[in-house]
Amino acid sequence: MKLLRLLAAGFSMSLRRSVAFRVNLVFDVLLAFTGLGTAIAAVLIVFTRADTLAGWSKAEFLVLIGTYQLITGLRTTFIDPNLSWFPETGIREGKLDGYLLQPAPSLFLSSLSLSSPLQLIQVVLGVGVLAWGIGVADRSPGAAGVMSWLVLVVAGTVVTWALSVLLACLAFWAPKLQLDVFYHSAWQLGRYPTDVFARPLRILLTYVFPMALIASVPSTALLRGPQFGVLLAGVAAAAGAAALAALAWRAGLRRYTGATS
Amino acid sequence: MRTAVLLGFRLRQEVLEWSGAWWFLMTLVVQAVVAPLIGLFVWSAVYPDDPAIARYYVAVILVTLMTESFEQHTFSERIYNGTLSHELLRPQPVAVGVIGMNLAIRAWLTLLGAPIVLLTGIALQVGFDWWAVARSTPYLVLAAVLVFLWTFLLSLTAFWTDRVHAVVGFGSQLVFLFGGTAAPIGLLPDGLRRVAEVLPFYGMSGLPAEIAAGTRGDGSLGYQLVWVVVLVGVVMVLWRAGVRRYTAVGS
Repeated sequence: MKLLRLLAAGFSMSLRRSVAFRVNLVFDVLLAFTGLGTAIAAVLIVFTRADTLAGWSKAEFLVLIGTYQLITGLRTTFIDPNLSWFPETGIREGKLDGYLLQPAPSLFLSSLSLSSPLQLIQVVLGVGVLAWGIGVADRSPGAAGVMSWLVLVVAGTVVTWALSVLLACLAFWAPKLQLDVFYHSAWQLGRYPTDVFARPLRILLTYVFPMALIASVPSTALLRGPQFGVLLAGVAAAAGAAALAALAWRAGLRRYTGATS
Repeated sequence: MRTAVLLGFRLRQEVLEWSGAWWFLMTLVVQAVVAPLIGLFVWSAVYPDDPAIARYYVAVILVTLMTESFEQHTFSERIYNGTLSHELLRPQPVAVGVIGMNLAIRAWLTLLGAPIVLLTGIALQVGFDWWAVARSTPYLVLAAVLVFLWTFLLSLTAFWTDRVHAVVGFGSQLVFLFGGTAAPIGLLPDGLRRVAEVLPFYGMSGLPAEIAAGTRGDGSLGYQLVWVVVLVGVVMVLWRAGVRRYTAVGS
């Protein structure tokens, strides 16, 4: 409860800081629109040449893009402002030292205390595309499908947070290793169903760097109905990833000796 | 001649400086190849029996690596932190430093990305007509100039706004959509294809890749040259206006 109150307070302060720069709001909204528009256009071009792509229909693709955009929006709103470029800002510039002195869990402060409220526009747009996809789908999703989609989206968000924390933890062992660009590039692969990719990449995106859980799996559950095994695997993956992130953070802190040491 | 010598020195200096950041450069290579790789997988799924698709996208990956530009990071940040003043005080054009760094990064990306291109080509059993590859060289050079001018032009907006990354991001989306990465231009719907063939983005990526892949026999160097002239003109106008507006840190 205390952490939720802290999260709300951090969000409120970030929101007040953000609205002071209204031109930035215009830029962020425009970029979110054009970014999503480009992604949708790229897919619609494909569907001028084919009815399905790797077994996915146009409606399913729209649902997938909407889900991907929603989780990306949550990531850029709540996670990226804290963990982007962590080796530099967190470790080398000493921001982590400040967090360690504060009376709240350092993992929470380092990964969720700041936010970029303007990026929530991506979530809104994602929901819009999702509704579009559902609207043009051959059959509407059932209640079970919607519920399992919700659970899997939460699981995907937790996995996203855990992946970001694990990436940040690498800085405790290799402070000069900067993998943010790599992470954000690999993230782009989540915009397409894993069925599109070659088998080795598909395995990698399902079990090693689980981008499949971000959009492909929830979208499948929503439109093709839930599968109990997949649902269970998604929840287990989220719990496992979160536990691993917390363990890695603790191990990293034990090794950490301060920004200047 | 003097400018060319200065550029040579700067290029050497930048190549050496970036040699220490090979790991970061590798992440930039990954960033550059992801979009064309996705295009390759998507269009190969649509046309599984067409070897031209794989050939085209392997060429796009190489063109992208050889023409990547990051002036929103290398140049615009100098406007934001005020170190552009140092460049303005040097007895040489500011462009020497910008172009030197641009060429050094491209050289490293090409070198580090070559194994990825090679592996992709071997894995997909892509065969090139080397005469077509040689013929694509002038188109590739002009594509490199166009991408630099486009990115530099958008980076100049840092004189007016602190959202240069959003502006350049928008520019990259246009290149992705109309340049031939999202889809080969020939596969775009008619209306969109006609627009794409007129805009400069096709000349930045799709045109040299198509010629190298042999899916297009010849192209119009004139089309690329016209856009080079237009972009050089706009860059010069924006540069003059920007420098007049620029106020060094501390003044």
